[in-house]
Amino acid sequence: MPRPDAGTSLLELQRSFARTIRAAALASDDDATFAGPGAVPVSERLAVYRNNAWQFFQNALALTYPVLKRRVGDDYFRQLAHEYRIAHPSRRGDLHWVGESFPAWLEQRLAQTEYAWLADLARLEWACEVVATTQTEQHADIAALSALDPVTLDRAVLHLQPALQLVESSWPLWSVWQANQAQHEAMAIDLGSGPENCAVAGVDDGVTVYRLTAVDFSLLGSLQAGSSLAQAVSVAGAAPEALARLLGWAFAERLVVGVVSPSARA
Amino acid sequence: MPVRAGIGLRSAHHEALPRELPEVGWIEAHTENYFHAGGPGIRVLERARESYPLSLHGVGLGLGSADPIDMEHLDRIRDAVRRFEPALVSEHACWGHVDGEHFNDLLPLPHTEEAVEHLASRVRQVQDFLGRQVLVENLSSYVAFAGSRLSEGDFLAAVVERSGCGLLLDVNNAYVNAHNLGLDVDAFFAALPVPAVQEIHLAGHSRRRIGEHELLIDDHGSAVPDAVWALYRSALRRFGPVPTLIEWDTAVPALEVLVAEARRADAIREQIDAAT
Repeated sequence: MPRPDAGTSLLELQRSFARTIRAAALASDDDATFAGPGAVPVSERLAVYRNNAWQFFQNALALTYPVLKRRVGDDYFRQLAHEYRIAHPSRRGDLHWVGESFPAWLEQRLAQTEYAWLADLARLEWACEVVATTQTEQHADIAALSALDPVTLDRAVLHLQPALQLVESSWPLWSVWQANQAQHEAMAIDLGSGPENCAVAGVDDGVTVYRLTAVDFSLLGSLQAGSSLAQAVSVAGAAPEALARLLGWAFAERLVVGVVSPSARA
Repeated sequence: MPVRAGIGLRSAHHEALPRELPEVGWIEAHTENYFHAGGPGIRVLERARESYPLSLHGVGLGLGSADPIDMEHLDRIRDAVRRFEPALVSEHACWGHVDGEHFNDLLPLPHTEEAVEHLASRVRQVQDFLGRQVLVENLSSYVAFAGSRLSEGDFLAAVVERSGCGLLLDVNNAYVNAHNLGLDVDAFFAALPVPAVQEIHLAGHSRRRIGEHELLIDDHGSAVPDAVWALYRSALRRFGPVPTLIEWDTAVPALEVLVAEARRADAIREQIDAAT
């Protein structure tokens, strides 16, 4: 026999409670669902829950997007958070996910405005969040490359850290991110100073944001997508020396977790 | 789980706790903070787990929600339980989501027969899924329901009886409810089945002025006040020595402050033990 589920009255009570939490104004003191007791009005009692829900949402968003909050200031961040919550209320019991849709929402909300670049900054901070919660794999040594047959080396494929995130931007993204870190005073960045692409990776117990040249970004993106070394060079239109330099950096930063030779792939 | 007092593992102490390994009986962690496959926080708990027994405390499942239980959330709880092998697993006697919208708060249930049956059925579902008993914690509340027909103690006792769960007794929540809702704490303690109480929480609260009156807000942001320590003594006399957590989640102080509070809880337990 199936177990009884919540009856209508419990469901309706929770819906009624939810309406008071979402409401812009204080609830009525005359709602017969609720009881005091005592002299504190029911509306003030319910306001505790209304404020909690808003504060928990806003705080979770601020934890995920500290650089963006610092850049735009508390008041504008609060306004954005309020609008975002209406469009994207929390859908999970784990507050970590509250900010997942924030970059895409900002992109629409701020399109054609002077703040359009904030969407890219949000994408970078969400990438940091993803990296901070993804398992880091044991890195490979660059000796794994030199062990391959030189004749077929260019057909080798690299496996990169699963947490590695690449963020492309038309704005000086890395410079803005760097200039708004909490440990030093914020600096103004000329938003017309050109595009900067970023890679985000987890190293030891921290998250590192790298600034990449357009060529390095293209090379790394191709390698992450599973291209061979030769294919990556072709797609990026890069010189072989550029690949050699990028590989040296990627191994040194422990971003490579495996090297697959052409024979192994066959 | 040792009866010696424990402390919560919070991000403010992610560096200090594994380095200093303070002498406390156990640590508590919020389950939802360890839902991920990896990252620095996971590694800190893995290291801490080598030195301490663990209690995993969930804050986001919303057991009493009328919505179907969030199976993805429950899956992640099971993953965390398998990974960290806690001695105790706990949730709250609350609801948290309706029609798919989560409020990420511990929202109160009416103390009705319908809510007892609903909560007990959800607890059974969770226990069956996890393959183990869970503890259910009493809430701090700011509003009561006109339709409630049971006392809070009788409500929780009925949930225990119908689900086989244990109880996590939050003494500060009982104090807050006594102030906010007129809860009779002696009667509340008396209604709870003694063997069911397997963990105790102690915390501080703040006061919110509303006209001539005030509500106590359960914010876990200060030291355990004297009045809550006094109730803790009463709880130990009724329930015996129970693993006790110093719960401090906002404005988290230095690690040694938490440890000092845990020492105070230990000293009180030893006094009560010696006197009985």
